[in-house]
Amino acid sequence: MVEREVVVVPEAGLHARPAKEIVKIARSYKSDVTVARNGREANARSLMKLMALGAKKGDSVLVRATGEDEEAAVEALVGLISSEED
Amino acid sequence: MPGARLEGVAASEGVAVGPAFVHAPDELEPQRTGIAEGEVEAELERFRGAIEAVVAQISEARDALSESGSEEAEILDAHVEFAGDPELHSEVEERVRNLESPEAAVLAVGEEFAGLFAGMEDEYMAARADDVRDVTSQIAAQLMGLRSSGLAGLAVPSVVLARNLAPSETARMPREMVLGLVTAEGSKTSHVSIMARSMGIPAVVGVGAEALERALGAGIVAVHGDDGYVVTDPDADEVAFFEGEQAEAATERAALEAYRHVEARTHGGRRIEVAANLGSPKEAADALSWGAEGVGLFRTEFLFMERDELPTEEEQYGVYREVAEAFGEKPVIIRTIDVGGDKDLPGVSGHEEENPFLGWRGIRMSLDVPDLFRPQLRAILRAAAHGNLKVMFPMVSSVEEFVEARCLLAECREELEREGAETGPVEAGVMVETPAAALCADELAREVDFFSIGTNDLTQYALAVDRGNEKLEKLYRADHPAVLKLIEMTCRAAEKAGIQTGVCGEAAGDPALAPKLVALGVTELSMSPPAIPRAKKIISELP
Repeated sequence: MVEREVVVVPEAGLHARPAKEIVKIARSYKSDVTVARNGREANARSLMKLMALGAKKGDSVLVRATGEDEEAAVEALVGLISSEED
Repeated sequence: MPGARLEGVAASEGVAVGPAFVHAPDELEPQRTGIAEGEVEAELERFRGAIEAVVAQISEARDALSESGSEEAEILDAHVEFAGDPELHSEVEERVRNLESPEAAVLAVGEEFAGLFAGMEDEYMAARADDVRDVTSQIAAQLMGLRSSGLAGLAVPSVVLARNLAPSETARMPREMVLGLVTAEGSKTSHVSIMARSMGIPAVVGVGAEALERALGAGIVAVHGDDGYVVTDPDADEVAFFEGEQAEAATERAALEAYRHVEARTHGGRRIEVAANLGSPKEAADALSWGAEGVGLFRTEFLFMERDELPTEEEQYGVYREVAEAFGEKPVIIRTIDVGGDKDLPGVSGHEEENPFLGWRGIRMSLDVPDLFRPQLRAILRAAAHGNLKVMFPMVSSVEEFVEARCLLAECREELEREGAETGPVEAGVMVETPAAALCADELAREVDFFSIGTNDLTQYALAVDRGNEKLEKLYRADHPAVLKLIEMTCRAAEKAGIQTGVCGEAAGDPALAPKLVALGVTELSMSPPAIPRAKKIISELP
């Protein structure tokens, strides 16, 4: 298992487009990937659960992956969550 | 006795009178809540089938919306995603394995998920609860064999009254059967209002639950979508009034019809070209049908936004060629990319700006990032072989900037010629939107092939008034003497140099402003396509 803490950078938080992007990326890996905020954990392949975390810009979230490509999956998601989006 | 009057929000313009149709969808009450052990596999199969059917239905409704990337399309995109959500599936499947019927299970899980959103402080997020419920109800309805929402079966043209309408319901409404919409809930920006405007259906929303309750027994309902009120069971006088308003609108439309395809000339014989502002080549056919004599502003930003990589020259060439071919000999002015440095462009390092409107944008960015600019110029030059293309640079504030851009254009042309690629002639102009450009119009006019005045930005820069600031609404005036003087200076300089001056801001399509612009010497007006017939009529009535 690999996990990394990251601060949400996109203006919109993990809503709308950033969330859709995360789901798309998460589905492209074989590992199970989750995003957690305040102890609540969401399957990163589920748009509903991910949006329901209500993570805003500036919040800290924990990205965790378990599986054969766990390192790459966490890397990709952390990159997405910590980069600007218009 | 005159009918009752309900006040609401004017959500979508137009007037309608017709029989009331009350849309009160039944609460989805599953008949069967439990299943037998032996039925589990078959019920799971049924659940998966229902998901597939609902995903297909929503996708179909989404594809029927003409504009992709529009707000409605985005809502339905999220619904497709929700219907296919793996967490939703696994939780429902678990309940079914515990002998709950799939319809009861999907409603319960939907309610649970919706609850996660409903509790949020953020108004936007709280509203997503309705999206979740909308989707899970559709799946449950599918499982229960209740396909039509009631509205789909509307057989007589009617005014629809409802507490609220879900996006899935509005998207699938038979357009020709809905004369008008009245809802208890909603605001100008809610789903139902956005949908009504894009479908051209008069609508009044937010009349309140009590008022709607009183209206439910009405036989005939009149909707005034411009003024935001509804009259139930109108008496003869009121019906006559509404019919008068309708007839007036129809007469105006018919009167304008005659001007659609004329070449606009003033009484004095001055020819004024009336062109369209377009944001994508898909809008070309519609613009031509409104009578566009060309494209005064073709925005290219859509090519660059919401994607991971910059568009290739080949992709841009395809788009520019498509619009060039659609307009044939008619001129099409392509504006090179105009986004602020605050927007993230793939491959261009974005950064926060204190003041993006005075920042790194338009030609300033293009000149700094040749990887962005050159492919666009090359694509325009190549597409020009297939029509009458011109190029226009935004945010120019000095002669040097234009000269630099024009040199780059010439370099690109030489490059293409060396490669043996086919190109066409391309005139190069500037968009006059900084006061500096207007004040230097004499010097600029010696270099450029044409001017096009962007009145929206010119007004905000000249008056130092942010056009997005509601508190400053009264101060934002395109007919302020300072703005008119800048326009006049631009026109005089153009006349001296023997070049044309167009206007492609909102002022061009404004019936009150167009005559002033023509009087100042503007030779082309470019606007949103539906405004074209009215503009031609106004021009024809000028001295």
